[in-house]
Amino acid sequence: MVASLVALRRPDYGYALLQRLTDHGFPVDANTLYPLLRRLEDQGLLTSEWNTEESRPRKFYRTSDEGESMLSRLLDDLAAVQTSITGLIQGVDR
Amino acid sequence: MNTLTDRYLAATLRSVPTQRRDEIATELRASIGDMIDDRTSGGADPVTAERDVLTELGNPDLLAARYADRRLQLLGPTYYLVWWRLLKLLLSLIPAIVGTIVTIVKVSEGDGFGAIGPGIVAAMQTGVQIAFWLTLTFVLIDRFQPSTELPDWTVDQLPDVPAHRDISLPETIASVVMLLVTIGYLPFQHYRSWVRDTDGDNIPILDPSLWSFWLPALIVVLAASVVFEIVKYRTGRWTWPLYGAKALLNLAFSVPVVWLALTDRLLNPALGERLSWLAEADNRDVLGATIAVGVAVIMVWDLIDTALKTRRQTA
Repeated sequence: MVASLVALRRPDYGYALLQRLTDHGFPVDANTLYPLLRRLEDQGLLTSEWNTEESRPRKFYRTSDEGESMLSRLLDDLAAVQTSITGLIQGVDR
Repeated sequence: MNTLTDRYLAATLRSVPTQRRDEIATELRASIGDMIDDRTSGGADPVTAERDVLTELGNPDLLAARYADRRLQLLGPTYYLVWWRLLKLLLSLIPAIVGTIVTIVKVSEGDGFGAIGPGIVAAMQTGVQIAFWLTLTFVLIDRFQPSTELPDWTVDQLPDVPAHRDISLPETIASVVMLLVTIGYLPFQHYRSWVRDTDGDNIPILDPSLWSFWLPALIVVLAASVVFEIVKYRTGRWTWPLYGAKALLNLAFSVPVVWLALTDRLLNPALGERLSWLAEADNRDVLGATIAVGVAVIMVWDLIDTALKTRRQTA
């Protein structure tokens, strides 16, 4: 979910996003990602618009302002977890 | 059009909320198209690619549930433990009560032993009904009231540490069942043995004249042994008072049997009419002695074995 919000700072459609995430080391199942995008849109974390210029109509998602603020909170949480783990690793004698 | 993709979309959209159906359909069709294109551009056969893509997307019902954010479980963890506790409580009490009441009513209507069957059936039906309705209620609560505040668990709910048992429940149940079967066999053999006389009537194995005193007395001893087994289980281990009771019960059963066997009063004399071997007095003595020795050996062995157990468990 965090990865999707980061990646969608650049608008993209479902399958392209799937490939982009996979390339960056976030393998995700199609049957998980597509419904997730829908739900994030329903929650207002993503905005979307249809692009009908290409060969087939595609729905492009983009991280909304609300999504950005949610993302910064999530990234802070992740950083806190990372700090705790690092502290724990350094604290334990090897 | 009736391609695999069409069928897959139809199957998925069947259970997606109507107002979003068209939009999801267009997007999903485009996504499937993208995935197929990606594979065919890599040199794959279009038909195989379509199959692979749809296989990767998986069960359409699962996909639809994810789109609709629907739960794929009957009862969630919020209510599971409460449900399980209540189910055990209700099932341990109500079916037995209902079965007993039905049996008593049937007996009062004069059904005799035939009343046990309807009682058991009523108890089982009650159990099934309880399980169904209780589960249905909890599933409905779980679906529509997922945030109800349940009372928090407190340390006061902790059960006592179970007493250390040397006597297991299966062992006790096996003993009780054996005793009940023996009790049931005594009247049963009177009406149904495998021996018949020349008129086709039943010949009881045991001497019918024993019913005037000895067989009822043995049944009382066996019934007392059932009570003893239950008390023993409640106690949880062998103690010397229990051993004394056990020894008394063993003697109360085996001494009369041995004595009756040795004095040739145990078996029905009428058996001699059909089994010529039994008609000779010598043979009857041998059989009686065999029964007597067998019963005595089993009894002595049981008492020694139990004494060893008692000494070990009271140590």
